[in-house]
Amino acid sequence: MTSARDRILGKLRAAQKPFDELPPAPPKRYMSRPEDLSAEGLRARFVQEVKKLSCIPIEHADAESAIEYILGVIGEDSSVITWDFEQIPLTGLETALNDRGIQRGQPRDDKVRVGITGAVAAFASTGSLMMTSGAGKPRIASLLPPVHIAVIHGNQILPDFDTWIEQKRAEGIGSFNRPANNFLITGSSRTSDIAMESVLGVHGPGEVHVVILV
Amino acid sequence: MKVDANNFVSVAQIAVNDPDLQEAVSLGTYNGYSKRLVAMFSNGHEHGEAMRQQAAAMRRRAIQKLPDLLELAEKNMTANGIKVLWAETAEDVRNMVLDIAKKRNAKLVAKSKSMISEEVALNHAFEENGIEVVETDLGEYIIQLNKETPSHIVMPVMHRTKREIRDLFMRELNMPFTDDAAEMTAFIRKHLRQVFVNADIGISGGNFIIAESGSLCLVTNEGNGRMVTAMPKVHIGIVGIEKVIETIEDYATLTQILPRSATGQQMTVYMQMINGPRREDEPDGPDEVYVILVDNGRSKVYATKYAEALTCIRCGACLNACPVYQVTGGHAYGWVYSGPIGAVITPALTGLENATPLPQASSLCGKCKQVCPVDIDIPRMLLDLRHELVEKGMTDKIFDVGLKAWSIGNRSPKLFIMGGAVARFGTRFLPNRLPGPLGGWTKYRDFPQFAPKPFRELWKERKKGKPS
Repeated sequence: MTSARDRILGKLRAAQKPFDELPPAPPKRYMSRPEDLSAEGLRARFVQEVKKLSCIPIEHADAESAIEYILGVIGEDSSVITWDFEQIPLTGLETALNDRGIQRGQPRDDKVRVGITGAVAAFASTGSLMMTSGAGKPRIASLLPPVHIAVIHGNQILPDFDTWIEQKRAEGIGSFNRPANNFLITGSSRTSDIAMESVLGVHGPGEVHVVILV
Repeated sequence: MKVDANNFVSVAQIAVNDPDLQEAVSLGTYNGYSKRLVAMFSNGHEHGEAMRQQAAAMRRRAIQKLPDLLELAEKNMTANGIKVLWAETAEDVRNMVLDIAKKRNAKLVAKSKSMISEEVALNHAFEENGIEVVETDLGEYIIQLNKETPSHIVMPVMHRTKREIRDLFMRELNMPFTDDAAEMTAFIRKHLRQVFVNADIGISGGNFIIAESGSLCLVTNEGNGRMVTAMPKVHIGIVGIEKVIETIEDYATLTQILPRSATGQQMTVYMQMINGPRREDEPDGPDEVYVILVDNGRSKVYATKYAEALTCIRCGACLNACPVYQVTGGHAYGWVYSGPIGAVITPALTGLENATPLPQASSLCGKCKQVCPVDIDIPRMLLDLRHELVEKGMTDKIFDVGLKAWSIGNRSPKLFIMGGAVARFGTRFLPNRLPGPLGGWTKYRDFPQFAPKPFRELWKERKKGKPS
């Protein structure tokens, strides 16, 4: 007895090829490569795109002022959901939270208001954050709390998603599919299902802060 | 989902006379169409066109190599820890999903938006088996609450105004009165929160499967797609076999052209590349991931001249651009996929006899091809379908009689002159309407008056030098 799999593949193989002749692959074009590829240029474009997405980009020259900013967003809350601190490129964050008596909440606790993460890369052309699942990096930290703070270093900003894909190609496909989940975050959770009106914060965070260390 | 496309004309007539639907659909299609234009051509027209051609070539290569890529995808997904199942029919899909649900003793299923789950009527199967299933995309949730079907591939509830949705929430969920879409959304957010936390199984569709990496890819905006693939212990992705693509570079291009065409965004808010269940060292994610590869007629279409339709990436741009869809909305098309691409897919997948009016539901203006991110020649396929209608004798018999009469009359000058004279004389007595079976043509337009003198006579007089 043949399986459903074999019958489906058999039918596809028996059919004449759908296209008589395939055009040769056109030379690769980039969807939206920034013009200025210098570090400053990329950072400026990234900040501009993040703003367009109704998110809040904040550039900080030193760790203290970045931590100060994060504590300001947390306000009076007693707990936050975070990645493990070694995964967030901001030394002193753990101590600062401890000093304020702010606990690390359970990842599935939907009462917690703020989630803090890093990112594996950021893309200037679209204002995106590239994330991969991994040890010490709960996915839910950037999803369940209504406020998401992502901390990145300025040198993590790449021109575009295509550049990251080129890096993965160079490293080998195993570097792409080793994590259970790669995901891009571009802006805050949104919908326009009700009469085309854009509304932020549907199921994911409606408020996204991107702290950029320079 | 039952196919009900042969009632296109009568359902379209109801839609055309429904002021709420007209308001909602014209707002929605205009919005989608204009936002797409800005996003696709933000780097100039030439660049946008080149990206379309690049995307089209990628999809065509993938469909050309479909059986090989499916095998490769299966091998790599399996190596990634994904359980791959093959479903030949809608019933197979329902049984597979129910089997997994029963094995897991599931009580609550959270779904993100998936057109193929509509195609195979999945929700109905859950309900029959006493398993609660909740749509978590806001638009799909509204559809489920109102017990109707999506009318647009991307914006499922495009046919409803804000007032109608407000009234629905007030009636069904006791929502306090508001006119604010943000307040309505916040109300639903609260309502669905516990569904994500408590769901035993999460179900999604799939926008692409990358063969070389074995990844199931999803694009979403609201975050529910991430929720249902991260919170429950089991994730099931239901995907048509045509969604497979070859490389991660292909993915980079296609996943960026899709939102530009669909909603005018450079990227959707969340784009996931799912490579399997939670790895041992990862703190969250499902323990089991299934991908059900669905045929349900696709392998049959593969062997026809409509195989090009399998390259579709379901962006909905052709719906927004279509002058027919803009006034009828999606329900008239009678199945899951509406608009120009639906007019090809529905007859191709479910049989032309179940959708005879759809190939005619087009002015062949060509806009659907022009806006398609993968340059599908929809007008060509609509013409092929019309041809097939004639060959199979599925057109109105009056057409055959009329065309035969026209053919005979036009081959003989004598008959042509006589016919003209009879028509000129006879139509004087018509009250702007044609009689009997010809009446459909003049139902909404007057029958034009014949010229008092045919061109032939005017020409003769002119040659003789008489003033006309």
